[in-house]
Amino acid sequence: MTLDKRLRGVKRFPLSLLFSMVGSILVLFTILTLFNMIVQQLVLEPTGFVKAATDPLVIESILLTLYASFLATLIAVIFGTPLAYVLARHDFPGKNIVESVIDVPVIIPHSVAGIALYTLLMRRSVIGTAFQNIGVVFEDSLWGIVAAMLFVSASFYINAAREGFQSVNPRLERVARTLGASQWRAFHHIALPLALRHLFSGAIMAWARGISEFGAVIIIAFYPMIAPVLIFYKFTTGGLRGSQPIAVLLILICFAVFIGLRMSSKYWERRQ
Amino acid sequence: MIALEQVSHDWGDFALTDVSFSVADGEYFVILGPTGAGKTLILETIAGFYIPREGHILLKGDDATHTPPEKRNIGFVYQDYALFPHMTVEENVAFGLKMHGSPKETVEHRVQKIMEVMQISHLKERFPTTLSGGEQQRTALARALVIDPDVLLLDEPLSALDPRTRENLRDELKRLHQTQGTTTIHVTHDQTEALVLADRIAVIIDGRVVQVDVPSKVFNNPASVEVANFVGVENVLKGRILSNKDGVARVDVGTYQVHVLSSLGEGDVHVFVRPENIILAKEKFQSSARNVVEGQIIDVTQFGAVFRISMDTGLSAFVTKQSVDELGLQARETVYASFKATAAHLIKR
Amino acid sequence: MKPRTMLMIVAVIVIVVVGGIYFSNPYWKEKTVLKIFHAGSLTVPFETIETQFEADQHTFLREVDVQLEPAGSVACVKKITELGEEADVLASADYSLIPTMMIPTHADWYVIFAKNRMTLAYTANSMYADEINATNWYEILRRSDVKWGFSNPNLDPCGYRTPMVIQLAELEYGDHNIFEDLIEANSDITVTKNNGTYTINSNITDLNPKTERLTIRDKSVDLVSLVQAGGLDYAFEYSSVAKQHGLTYLELPESIDLSAVAYTDTYSTVTIRLTSGTNTGSPIVYGITIPTNAPNQALAEEWVKYVINEYGQGVWTDNGQPPITPAVTSDLDKTPESLKAYVVEE
Repeated sequence: MTLDKRLRGVKRFPLSLLFSMVGSILVLFTILTLFNMIVQQLVLEPTGFVKAATDPLVIESILLTLYASFLATLIAVIFGTPLAYVLARHDFPGKNIVESVIDVPVIIPHSVAGIALYTLLMRRSVIGTAFQNIGVVFEDSLWGIVAAMLFVSASFYINAAREGFQSVNPRLERVARTLGASQWRAFHHIALPLALRHLFSGAIMAWARGISEFGAVIIIAFYPMIAPVLIFYKFTTGGLRGSQPIAVLLILICFAVFIGLRMSSKYWERRQ
Repeated sequence: MIALEQVSHDWGDFALTDVSFSVADGEYFVILGPTGAGKTLILETIAGFYIPREGHILLKGDDATHTPPEKRNIGFVYQDYALFPHMTVEENVAFGLKMHGSPKETVEHRVQKIMEVMQISHLKERFPTTLSGGEQQRTALARALVIDPDVLLLDEPLSALDPRTRENLRDELKRLHQTQGTTTIHVTHDQTEALVLADRIAVIIDGRVVQVDVPSKVFNNPASVEVANFVGVENVLKGRILSNKDGVARVDVGTYQVHVLSSLGEGDVHVFVRPENIILAKEKFQSSARNVVEGQIIDVTQFGAVFRISMDTGLSAFVTKQSVDELGLQARETVYASFKATAAHLIKR
Repeated sequence: MKPRTMLMIVAVIVIVVVGGIYFSNPYWKEKTVLKIFHAGSLTVPFETIETQFEADQHTFLREVDVQLEPAGSVACVKKITELGEEADVLASADYSLIPTMMIPTHADWYVIFAKNRMTLAYTANSMYADEINATNWYEILRRSDVKWGFSNPNLDPCGYRTPMVIQLAELEYGDHNIFEDLIEANSDITVTKNNGTYTINSNITDLNPKTERLTIRDKSVDLVSLVQAGGLDYAFEYSSVAKQHGLTYLELPESIDLSAVAYTDTYSTVTIRLTSGTNTGSPIVYGITIPTNAPNQALAEEWVKYVINEYGQGVWTDNGQPPITPAVTSDLDKTPESLKAYVVEE
């Protein structure tokens, strides 16, 4: 649609225009905050930015952050999808409790979550010792980072997936069964494809949430340093000058990845 | 072919109690009942989505109560058609055959054929959300029929359509049944559908089977007041049999007597007379009708194409507009209502 | 399965595997991690030592990774004593925390190796920067358009030393309202005066600072960026921190800046009560120890050596934290053998 046509549509709905203006305040708030920092860094101190962008420690830290959150999201998807399906399709005694438990990690202060995870998974704990026997250590390791990220972000995926499955009419799966599909095939051919958009969007959210986690990760795994921890460390030692370039780099990279994902999912949908 | 034996189940708001009936091979069986009374649940139970608390479901003589739905070879058409929105019409129709593992050529061939029969071949690349109600209905039927089901279950298939499409599809269903011969169980609240399509009808009210009979019997000889009310028998009179001579009972209904063809000899009864069977005249006249009742008109109301004349005798009659005009029917007019002894029906009270 | 789904699953597996290989340690190299919990103000000199140390320790078959975890000194100790975390070295901005909180359960000895002084850090853009000096600083802090700050006394020794400095200032300048005007008026911290001894009460969780005048942060180093950005005019910092971050700093009289051993008795007239215990004013001296549960005892001893030997002494001088030469140990018997040559007992 041309710009002209689009504007005409809005003009015909003065309420929408008013709502857009009110809503744009929020969008502006986000844009201003980030833009201010990004422009400050790129325009006023570009050398600092280049130094950070080429520092292997910084690059590795950012890659580690993206990768660890990817693993956490993967685990959330593998275990969370069946859970979300059950929650969407069935009622059972205690369902309320289960759903509340899933939401709890979102409300807990991050440092509390970190301490709780640490006490559970540290080398000395029951679980920690058991895992050590198979060579997995959580303290100061990738596993610990993944555990912390998973803890805070799983709920986003599960809720999105559950809504996705709820939006699929259960009659569709029933008809599929009468046509000879087993429960699994009805899920695979009907429920899953129709809920896919929600699942994908939920996964992206969980991944984003994992990338930004700081308080929970820093207690169980200060090292290896994920980007938020590195930024914090640089902030305490080098102040704004030391930490801002990394923050800007991280924002730009994440921005690029998210735009890429959203565009590819739209393209995917259109091909359907 | 398919039988329910004393099936009972509870869903909270609705319950099936002791439901038994059987459907013969190739029969068109209609389950008739008020709207929202859980008729979908009955069909879903037959399809196997609920295992009844009590009772058995038999398919082709075998106890299929615990057989999973995908093994029952049952075709199902929901009221909202439940077409797969992410598949084309062709893919929808082909789904069942794909699930059964049929080879590609067979699938293509059979899908083409059924789409031709249902006249939806021109829609095969379309997606369900772009189809009209009638087109969706035909697609849903094609999808269910292509797998050659032992039983076809239809959940109020015509309720969501406009009157003209409804009539067209109703006739098509009849035609389809005559050509394909599939055993069908069709659930509806619409009596006309039942009358036109059914070989036999089961009237289910409040989760119980109240009457299982051929259509004419259900409509003219309802087994209870509830059935009568439901099938549109407007005239229900309370009476007591005075005598019975040569198979005709004389019944005292309070202010007058009626003669009804019946084998009952005595006792308290309900008398049923369909309003269409009552003929009105301005003067008492001689006819073959055994019953002539004089009365005053209380009310003249229009119902679509017919008028209902209610009289102080407790009788209502349906007449055309022409009759209303010719006879000058209006409130307070005296009129004679006559009906044959065979047009009335008795049940014990 | 559709080819598109196949592609996605393959992509996921590739990412998982490649990432796993990339981020795991090379199996042929032994990698030892030396974990060091230390006060924020030691970060810059420790980073210098870290570079040298890692380079020296690096051999073909062994790699040493020094992991520095800075935090407020009290928080550092608590990580060991309360959370049970295992560190190889603990370095505190207040040596007295070690005997008070760690000996004998978590440590047996400690060594003091450098000192520091309390100063007032600021920049050319701070209010009244061209006016302030060692005799009028408290007047300037009283002014209503000046914003100043210090760190949380319950988390950071630099934080609890600040009220001490301000109380000691009353004696030095003969003005008995300084503490009241600067501290009591702007927060819930109070002082009880008793015949020449002063007890500051900061054993409360919520200090309730009046944020238009007074800013409180977890570690003194956090205030540095605020001063640099211009949001804060003056912050109480160690001279080392101010120097390392390029801030101008005002040297205060030795009788109040907690840097001179000669004034120990004066300093000790001030006591502060914190949520974790009580502390008496004393010269700011850095202490270091190897906790009893250190995973890498031998390597930890090497690190301590670097801190107290000639090389280390040079690092401290450069950073504005005068070294104590030679380093002094609390208990020569309990000091590790390899370090005995570098220390003396008090």
